[in-house]
Amino acid sequence: MSTHDPMMEMYLFETNQLLNRLEQLCMDAERKQDISEEIPEIFRIMHTIKGNSMMMLLEDIGKVAHRIEDLFDKLDDISLSSAAIETIIDYNFEAIDFFKREMNKLELGGKADGSSFDLVQKIEAFLESISNGEKPMVPPVSSDQKYFIPPSDNQTSFIASEQATPDAYFARLFFDDDAQMENVRAFTIVHNLKDKAEDIVYFPEDIVENEGSIDKIKEDGFFILFKTSESQEEIHQYFSNLAYINNQEVNLIEDQDYDSILQDLKPKEEVVQAEPVASPPKVEEVSTVGASKQNFISVDVQRVDQLMDLVGELVVAESMVVNNPDLLGLKLNNFDKASRQLRLVINELQDIIMSVRMVPLSMTFQKMSRIVRDMKKKVNKPVELELVGEETEVDKNVIEKIGDPLMHIIRNAMDHGIEDPASRLEAGKDEVGKITLSASHVGGDVVISIKDDGKGLDKERIYDKAFEKGLITKPMDACSDQEIYQMIMNAGFSTKVEVTEFSGRGVGMDVVAKNIESLGGAIQINSEKGVGSEITILIPLTLAIVDGMMIRVADTIFTLPIMSVKESFIVSQDEVISNSDGQEMVMIRGTCYPVIRLDKHYDIKGSHLDHEGIFVMIEHDDEQVLLFADELVGEQQVVVKSLSKYIKKVKGISGFALLGDGQISMILDPSGFMMA
Amino acid sequence: MKRLLIVDDAMFMRSTLKMMLRNQGFEVVGEAQNGIEAIRQYKSLKPDIVTMDIHMPEMGGLDALGEILKMDPKAKVVMITAAGDQKHVMDAMQLGAKNFIVKPFTEEKVIKVMNSI
Amino acid sequence: MNTLQDEIQEIKDGMDFDAEKYLTFSIGNDKYGMDIKFIEDIIGVQKITSVPNQPDHLKGVINLRGIIIPVIDIRVRLNKELRAYDDRTCIIVVNMEDASVGIVVDTVLEVVSIEDKNIANPPSYDQEGDNQYMKGIGKFKDDVIIIVDCYALISES
Repeated sequence: MSTHDPMMEMYLFETNQLLNRLEQLCMDAERKQDISEEIPEIFRIMHTIKGNSMMMLLEDIGKVAHRIEDLFDKLDDISLSSAAIETIIDYNFEAIDFFKREMNKLELGGKADGSSFDLVQKIEAFLESISNGEKPMVPPVSSDQKYFIPPSDNQTSFIASEQATPDAYFARLFFDDDAQMENVRAFTIVHNLKDKAEDIVYFPEDIVENEGSIDKIKEDGFFILFKTSESQEEIHQYFSNLAYINNQEVNLIEDQDYDSILQDLKPKEEVVQAEPVASPPKVEEVSTVGASKQNFISVDVQRVDQLMDLVGELVVAESMVVNNPDLLGLKLNNFDKASRQLRLVINELQDIIMSVRMVPLSMTFQKMSRIVRDMKKKVNKPVELELVGEETEVDKNVIEKIGDPLMHIIRNAMDHGIEDPASRLEAGKDEVGKITLSASHVGGDVVISIKDDGKGLDKERIYDKAFEKGLITKPMDACSDQEIYQMIMNAGFSTKVEVTEFSGRGVGMDVVAKNIESLGGAIQINSEKGVGSEITILIPLTLAIVDGMMIRVADTIFTLPIMSVKESFIVSQDEVISNSDGQEMVMIRGTCYPVIRLDKHYDIKGSHLDHEGIFVMIEHDDEQVLLFADELVGEQQVVVKSLSKYIKKVKGISGFALLGDGQISMILDPSGFMMA
Repeated sequence: MKRLLIVDDAMFMRSTLKMMLRNQGFEVVGEAQNGIEAIRQYKSLKPDIVTMDIHMPEMGGLDALGEILKMDPKAKVVMITAAGDQKHVMDAMQLGAKNFIVKPFTEEKVIKVMNSI
Repeated sequence: MNTLQDEIQEIKDGMDFDAEKYLTFSIGNDKYGMDIKFIEDIIGVQKITSVPNQPDHLKGVINLRGIIIPVIDIRVRLNKELRAYDDRTCIIVVNMEDASVGIVVDTVLEVVSIEDKNIANPPSYDQEGDNQYMKGIGKFKDDVIIIVDCYALISES
């Protein structure tokens, strides 16, 4: 991923956050078919996106946001028909999609070159149509506010740099082309000038209430007549230092010329009115509605990763101290107590650090809501999406990779699974299809399930196709249902006759399977014809630290996750029998278990397994095997380091671990030893 | 070193201003996300200058400006505004803001305005 | 008498990343060179933990300051007979595409500059043999330096 400059990073981060919130608001509004509660917040979000985008010189994005902001600015005073509400919500979704696309381009280091033209046109047209006949919102500005200068302490005093009588000056100022709101600028100057000067008269004088004065100022400049004790040089410098001023002329005025100039400017007797400030003008306040008020800070992901690495190293270091060969054989009661305490603290630290990277699935689930909503229109089927357990947390990198697979599965369900309303009614089902997306923690895994009440998978057809393609050779009744269903995750497999835009291209499910695999997970498919299907995804919670049992085979130390170790035995060699296939087995309490001699299995030389050794029973998925090793070395918590990409994957080995003494141990994966 | 309080509900704007002003003789001593926080921060930090966004939740920039000026009539507040927000900016200037900066702005402009206060 | 560590340190100190600099090392009587831009570290050989079911040239893994790095033996790649590791044996750690790999060599010599014009293309025959790991034949002073292709060395055969 390309790294951006900090401004862009921040812009993308905040905009994405805002877009997520915006989408949620729109979905809420759509559900209620009423937008009144959401108006203030949507207005504010668009305003922020507009502001931020303009800072980044992203005009098109800014324009769209601006239009919607204008639109929402007007909505409070208008009563909207439900059709209008629907249109407004649709435009919002369109805008969200537009923004998302542009954000994507920027994230990939490209340019946000999408044109806002069409969308802006649409919104403008809509805005016009609903504002026709609307009563003016802004009351006419009262016309007694000419020459309005708010009171301040030095209203009547002026800065006397010397004890000289003040001189009169006549200045003509031009603003920068991009100064904007020149009338307000002019007012600002006058307002600030009163700290230094008095008897201030200016032209055009209706700068406060008349925006038309902007043009006059731009064309002819802004004229100020004033008296000050400061020198011409000082005044000149003052105006030069003011921002947004392009050009200035400051001339000292002789007394005799003063009055004529005064008359020229404007034949008005009063010069400066000091009117008390009316109560502060009422500003349209925008209040947040339902913005989640949680105490969060945003942290660089890299730092979190660094933190995690450090904690991992801390665990290793703790091991290195506690299991130090120097201490071997010593009886150290106090030391043991202290090291137990240390272990407790480190465990807690570990738990918390792990949880820092954990993120709830709610964002992802919300995206699915959006997908269902869009798909509903495209496939013309009413479908209801039920979300269960969206607060379930998963590791951050899982969140990033789980979105696409889920999206594909849900699209599949909507496109192929759920029948059209007529067929459903015929089948005695509810017209509205139902998809349930649920997540929960079970054991050390996250279980995500997508269940639909559609027509289910056609087992025969899948089998036939798989058979045709040579993916299955045994007869259908020799296959378990799971086996047949799993075929749909094979590349190039698709039983859909026409390839629809969304799925059925045969490219989807196998990519889904790969994605899940890359997370170390698995997919299970269950289905009943006519009733529906359920796809279950299991993903291990990232356990970077494993409680391990070390076993030694010659010079090699293997680590077994303690969770998978059932028992260990010392068995004499004559209890080892072989079956007809040559597979060695041992009978334990009436059951035969297969034996795997690790030295033979991995071609490790130098062990004494013909004479003595230890059998360790490991279990996976209700299946048990016995591993034969030289000896048990001990128990230790180890940090799992994944296999480098230059190392070929070996069945039964899931990674490496650094032991307390710095040695490298291979972590065994029980599932790789099972026979079934 | 002038002490600066940045008030804006957009994280992006706050960090942009911070970046622009950091090495220009300004020390950002505080940040606030809405008017209420702005007032609180002003009370405790007593900054030399405040940059104030106009539209914010809970309490907007204009109200906050009013309150701050009531507390400290000498307060120096610069409004940050989007183009086209005439009315509000004018109100702010009349209330007593020292100057205003229009979005989008360049570093140059910001520095000049901030230095001229 | 310089220890190996001192020599290695000297080499590392001289590794400012100009183009056309190569780390030379010896395999038997031959001198080889490697572009320094891929080189991450140089260490004396240490215990290599073997990993089952790996290609011959991949001898195993080592623990480099808490990171586990695979190690290949260049003699296997170059089809030379294996030599026992001794106190001069070194591991050159290269980093390509964000992954580190160690390469065991007899010993490291020095960092030299060889201009492109002094590097001849490898002989074009026998591209599948040992020459697939050769990038060119360089000349430095009176020596012939065989420039190796790091990427080819560490990739799957």
